Amino acid sequence: MASSIERSSKRSTTVALVLVAGAGATALALGRYDPSQREEDVLVYGGPDACIRGGIRTETDCRSTYATALAAYPEAAPRYLSLADCEGHHGTGHCVDGTAVATSAAGRFVPMLAGYVIGRRIEQALAPQPVYDHRPGQAGAAYSGSGGYRTSWGGRVVTGSGGASSRARVASSAVRPAAFGGFGATGRGFASHGMAGHGSGG
Amino acid sequence: MRRIAIGERPGWRASARANGFTFHTLDGAPYWDESHAYAYAYAFTLGEIERDIEAPGTELHALCLAFVADAVEDARILASLAIPEAMWDVVRTSWRRGDPSLYGRLDLAYGGEGTGPAKLLEYNADTPTALYESAVFQWLWLEDLLRLGRVPASSDQFNAVHERLIERFRAVGGTCLALAAYADAPEDRGTVAYLEDCARQAGLATRFLDLGDIGLAASGAFVDRTEAPIATLFKLYPWEWAFADAFGEALAATPTRFLEPPWKAVLSNKGLLPHLYAREPGHPNLLPAYFEDDPQKARLGTSFVKKPLFSREGANVLMVRDGAVLAQDHGTYGAGGHVRQALAELPCFDGRHALVGAWIVGDACVGIGLREAAGPITTDAALFVPHVILPG
Repeated sequence: MASSIERSSKRSTTVALVLVAGAGATALALGRYDPSQREEDVLVYGGPDACIRGGIRTETDCRSTYATALAAYPEAAPRYLSLADCEGHHGTGHCVDGTAVATSAAGRFVPMLAGYVIGRRIEQALAPQPVYDHRPGQAGAAYSGSGGYRTSWGGRVVTGSGGASSRARVASSAVRPAAFGGFGATGRGFASHGMAGHGSGG
Repeated sequence: MRRIAIGERPGWRASARANGFTFHTLDGAPYWDESHAYAYAYAFTLGEIERDIEAPGTELHALCLAFVADAVEDARILASLAIPEAMWDVVRTSWRRGDPSLYGRLDLAYGGEGTGPAKLLEYNADTPTALYESAVFQWLWLEDLLRLGRVPASSDQFNAVHERLIERFRAVGGTCLALAAYADAPEDRGTVAYLEDCARQAGLATRFLDLGDIGLAASGAFVDRTEAPIATLFKLYPWEWAFADAFGEALAATPTRFLEPPWKAVLSNKGLLPHLYAREPGHPNLLPAYFEDDPQKARLGTSFVKKPLFSREGANVLMVRDGAVLAQDHGTYGAGGHVRQALAELPCFDGRHALVGAWIVGDACVGIGLREAAGPITTDAALFVPHVILPG
C-alpha cells in the first residue's frame, strides 16, 4: 500500500503501513534492554544458619529476615495447575501439593522453598523474599547444583560462581515486586461516557 | 471552502478493512461514510489552506508554547487550570527539561475565504484522536479519486501528517517506545496502533500495553508485565486522569518519559482559552474568553459557549445565543471549573456543521481533518469527512 506524487504538494509523498495493514494491531515485546534498569547486590541463603555462617548480615538480621520470608511463602508461592507444569519450571521433585502449603493453594502445585533472598546491606531496605529453584526442563531428581532461583513473581536471581557463592548482583525488578493497575481508574470512573468506542481520546 | 458531492468509491469498505480502519462504523453508527447516494467532501483553495489554516495553526501553537513557559512558573496560572498542586513540579520539570511533544489538534471554526479568520475553539493537545483517518484513510481516499479521475489531476490535500509523524518519532522517540491506551476502546486502540506503526517506521522498537499493564517498580520506573522498565511511554490517556490515579504520585520521581509530556496538561485544558485571549486580545484567531468566575465574562453578553476545563468530544458544552440555549451536551465531565468563550458558530453547509481539526506535529501545522455534525456541537457522533484542495 503505497503511492507517490510529485514533491511540491501539501500531502505526504507516500503513506505505507507496516503493522496495521493486514495483520491488524499487534503488540510485540521488543526492546527489553534499558540502561535505566537498576541493579543491586543481594544474598541468597538456604536458611538462617547459612546466613549466619556467611558473616555478612548479623545473626539477628539473618533470623528475622528468614522468618519474614518463611511467613510470606504460603501465600506468595506461585501456583501451577499440574505437577508437571510446576516441575517443568522448578525441577523434578521440587514441587508439592498446594494443599499442604495453604488453603488458597488447594488443588494446585507449588514449588518448595529453596531459600530466601535479602539485601547485602540493611540500608537497601529490601523486603526479604522466598526463592525457588529454577530448573526449566530439568529431569532427574539427583540434580543438586545451584545457580538459578526465581522469586515468587518470576524475578531471576543467579548467584555467582555457578552457585557456590551466596552473592548475586541482580536487576532490581527481580527482587522488588512492581505494582500494577495504578493507571486507568480515573478514566473508568467516567463510565457513562462509555468504553464501547471512545475512551480517552477526543 | 465548499461542500461537494464526490460519490462513493467502489470497494471503500474493503479498503477500510484492508488498511486496518476497523472503526469506520463506531457503535453501529457510521463514522466514515461513503454510503449515501452521494458521499461528500470539503473543497478548499490553496490560499484558504495556507493563509487561513496552516500559518495561523503554526502560530497558535507557538503562542501556546510561550504561554506554557510562563504558566509553569506561575502558581496562579497552574491553579486556574485546576492542575493539582502536587503535580506542579511534574509539569514544570517536564517543561524545563525540554521534554518533546509529538502531536496535537487545534479545533478551528472556519468557513472559508470571506467569512473571517479561523477561530480557535480549543486545543486537544494531549489525547487527540481522528488521527489515523486524517493521516491515512483520507490520503488514500484522494489517491483513489485521482486514479479514478473523479477530481482534477492537480488536486491536492493538506495532509503531510503521516510523514511528519515518522520524522518526529525519529527525532524524539528514543530507541524504544511503549504505547498505552485502553485496549478495549476501539478508537483509542486504533489510534495507538497507527502511532505504533509510525514509530516502527521511524526505527523504534515498540510494544503496546493496556493501561492496566503498566506497572510501577520500586526503582520508580514504570514497567511492563515482564518488569522491563519503560524508557518512553506514549499514553493515550489524559494527564488530568493520570494525575488523579494511584500512580500519579509516582510521576515526580520516575525516570520514565512521556509522550505527550506532562506540560501538555497546560494546553489540553479549556483554561488555556482565557489565558491566551488575555495575552493577545487583538489576535485574529482568538475568541474572547473568560473564566466562569471572572466578572468580565459579562462582556460576552448573551451569546457564548460555556465549557468545562476538562472535557472531550463536546461533552458538557453549553451553547447560548441571544440568551437562549442553542445546544447543550449532557456528559460526564461537568465537575470542576468552566470557561466562557464568545460564540463562534461552526459554518453550516447543507445543514451540516463542519469543524476543522488542524494537526500539529512537532511545532508545525501539517494537515487537517474535518468532522461534521448535525448539531452545532461537534460530539463523538460527528462524521469524519475528507477534504481536497482543488486547483484555482
